[in-house]
Amino acid sequence: MTAIEDVSFFIVDAGLKLGVDEIAAITARGISKQVRFANNEVTVTQTWDETSAGMLLKKDRRALVASVTDLSKEGLRKALGDLLHMARVMKPHESYAPLPEGPFKYQPVQGLYDKRVSRLGDEGVDYVEAAINSALASGGKRTAGTLLTRDTEYSLVTSKNVEATHRKTAVNLVVRCLANGESSGMGVTCGTTLGDLNPEKAGEEAGRLAKMSLNPVAGKAGRYDVVLSRIASAVILDIVAGMDSAFYVDYGRSSLVDRLGERIASENLSMYDDARMEGGMGSTPFDDEGYPTGETLIIEKGMLRSYLHNSFTAKKYQTRSTANAGWIDPHAWNIIVDGGEPSEDELLGDVKAGLYVNNLTYVRFQDYRQGDFSAVVRDGVFTIEKGEITKAVKGLRLSENLIHVLKNIIALSRDAKQISHWWMEWDTPSVKTPLLSLKNIGFTVPTK
Amino acid sequence: MDLAAFAVECASKLGAEYAEARLQSDVGNVYLMKNGNPEVAGFVRERGLGIRVLVNGGLGFASVNLLNRRLVEKRVREAVGMARTSVRVMRKPIKLSYEKTFEDRWEVKPKVPFDDVPVEEKMSLFSDLDKTVSSPEEVGVSIPYRVFQLIETTTEKHFVNSEGTILPSKIPRILFLGLLTGHEVNRGTEQDSIEKAESRGWEAMKEWNLMDHVKERAKILGKILKTAVEAPKERMDLILGNQVVGIMVHESTGHPYEADRILGREAAQAGESFVARDMLGKRIGAEVVSVVDDPTLKNSYGYYLYDDEGVPARRRFLMKNGIINEFLHNRETAVEMEVASNASARASSFDREPLVRMGNTFMLPGDYTFEELVENIQLGVYIKTFGEWNIDDRRYNMRFVGRECYLIEKGDVRGMIHRPILELTTPGFYGSIDALDRSLTFEGATCGKGDPGQGMPVWHGGPNARLRNITLGGM
Repeated sequence: MTAIEDVSFFIVDAGLKLGVDEIAAITARGISKQVRFANNEVTVTQTWDETSAGMLLKKDRRALVASVTDLSKEGLRKALGDLLHMARVMKPHESYAPLPEGPFKYQPVQGLYDKRVSRLGDEGVDYVEAAINSALASGGKRTAGTLLTRDTEYSLVTSKNVEATHRKTAVNLVVRCLANGESSGMGVTCGTTLGDLNPEKAGEEAGRLAKMSLNPVAGKAGRYDVVLSRIASAVILDIVAGMDSAFYVDYGRSSLVDRLGERIASENLSMYDDARMEGGMGSTPFDDEGYPTGETLIIEKGMLRSYLHNSFTAKKYQTRSTANAGWIDPHAWNIIVDGGEPSEDELLGDVKAGLYVNNLTYVRFQDYRQGDFSAVVRDGVFTIEKGEITKAVKGLRLSENLIHVLKNIIALSRDAKQISHWWMEWDTPSVKTPLLSLKNIGFTVPTK
Repeated sequence: MDLAAFAVECASKLGAEYAEARLQSDVGNVYLMKNGNPEVAGFVRERGLGIRVLVNGGLGFASVNLLNRRLVEKRVREAVGMARTSVRVMRKPIKLSYEKTFEDRWEVKPKVPFDDVPVEEKMSLFSDLDKTVSSPEEVGVSIPYRVFQLIETTTEKHFVNSEGTILPSKIPRILFLGLLTGHEVNRGTEQDSIEKAESRGWEAMKEWNLMDHVKERAKILGKILKTAVEAPKERMDLILGNQVVGIMVHESTGHPYEADRILGREAAQAGESFVARDMLGKRIGAEVVSVVDDPTLKNSYGYYLYDDEGVPARRRFLMKNGIINEFLHNRETAVEMEVASNASARASSFDREPLVRMGNTFMLPGDYTFEELVENIQLGVYIKTFGEWNIDDRRYNMRFVGRECYLIEKGDVRGMIHRPILELTTPGFYGSIDALDRSLTFEGATCGKGDPGQGMPVWHGGPNARLRNITLGGM
């Protein structure tokens, strides 16, 4: 049984026959392809052909979930039976909430599918070659990265009259370029269609930044005004989005606990989640419970306005679902920060003395609740003097508090662009962001 | 013919000079309790076939989980075709080291299989833990946020390659995770992550004595919140606890000695290494420091007897008496550096290519007692456990923030210190160690690497270590 709708319907029917109170099934089939490269060479090409089913079963106020790849009728029946057995011995969920009652009308989201992506074969190697050549022509010596293309179909069926399907494609090319071991740059190009992909530009950016990073001077610990590139800004905003999930708020893995209605950022920052963003890599017409998706304002001029909810967390927080389910944890779809007034050059031009940081990696927290963290800066770290990038810097580590960072955003560049890359470790599918300019940000260095 | 052998035969017929296939199933139960509420339980059951081919020096990988021959053949054909095409953007063909072939079976048999333990017992263990930890009378502090997670996984693999190796295997793994947030009025919050992990059945859970362990960690949070003071600013000596030494050797010896990082293959994501291939035999640390990686430690979370290229596992002596001694290799990096593979190729699931990974990385213990390490320190800090940590992508510039830490004065361990920050270079760390005690403990962890990411079960560990003349970092 492989037609994904058939699998979803079978799970729901079989679950109801077994006596569950409610059930939801998501079946997904995806073909993903990747070209990985390093040292200006392709290191491996990969294809993943995967079909799996997820099931959410509710019985007597208990909730259980499973993910299986055995989609035979026998395999699915066994999985449901095993879940039901577990349900019998679990304790009830204290914030139990039923699945939403359908049917719902889902408006399609534009710009999410490109058949050229699903048909892409050997040409993936050509895109990679173009990125490598562009990086080398811009002054880099060695390039590494990945080109990922993906075509995924989803089917959601629930026992509450929800039947929905959705198909989307994604493209993502990350190019890191090194001019030597310590001097590197990075460029990203991504979206949902082949037209979104600009390998030459990503390669050029990575190569240019790598060349500019040559002959770095040792950085000094202290507080600096900082301009974060879109790549670095996306890392910070991805964390804020992850911490805005009510699931993480609920157990203290968040710096946003008890801060609804409070100022958590400068008034320059407004941030929202938009599941219906045209061409958004995380866009979807429905969430995992079947609610039609929309837009959720998270930060309005610096004030925290909402957590992201599914039905369970909404019940606990006595509010409505924001259509961000996740059966277990609600999560963002596409995080958007609209651009400000200045151009990128004007934003840099306003910094008298400071730093430009292109990438943040290894962001780790001492205490999620308090928000103290540090991050390794790389792939283009420069001093800014009188509004101009001057020297490459090495050895610095951003050592800060998340709320302090958000409250010190003093300006945003005009153009916001969609970003997705490996170091967005809280798994927001995409962040659309401009460059961020911040004041008074702490950096440390090794003592020995 | 089984499906793995069929895939290998298909690839060979299509012109692959080498092919390997791994039919793998991972069956895992997951239980999650949050603030006393049984948030969710369930399972993941995945099974599929991963195949890797070498064609004209180009490497291709494909995976499928609908296990029929038609689909397998289609994806093998595609992997072979893509590998052939990729050669166009290569300067020299990929080769694999010569290794012996094996027909063998290895298995870790649980004394108490996971399914033999009723779900009620597992959930009541969580309930008891939560009841205890949430009681200020029991632990001396308010712990308003508590989350516990238990993951039991059984992995079965059937590995076949075109050279004749056939290796079925089966291994259970158990992982307990906890996050506690303590709170004290006017002092704020303090968090602690707890992780226990082994390659065993439910018997591991019984031996961990989780109740006492978690209770003790909760009590420590209270002591930190109520009593910890700022660390001294001056240059001094440090004692790093077993847990801290373990994470440091994992990050600053294990990772930079991965030969694929040294050769640049991971440059785009996890990064490269400050260690160059010609640094073998060079001094990087003090004479007392030796670091090994050993996948064959019984019960260890990073346990395996053959790697995912079919090479038999052995202890790797990464650093010997302060000298860089050996890198971690798969067959691709081994041939590049003209050595044999030391069985470091691991894949996290059927749909991931094997990468160079650690097993269980640890510093070998010394011959001091803990008291002897401390006794001649006039002023110092004992960093027993850590919270925040990170390291740059070349594994040279690292930072660890202490969690459970104590002041040392005139040879005695005294009161608690609040979050001392250790920010060091890798040679600065290894060059400052002057003594190690006889203890050796391990921590379970899930190591991340690769794109798409692969979380790999590992242990890291070591003795308590004394470092001389260190200034703590931070703002």
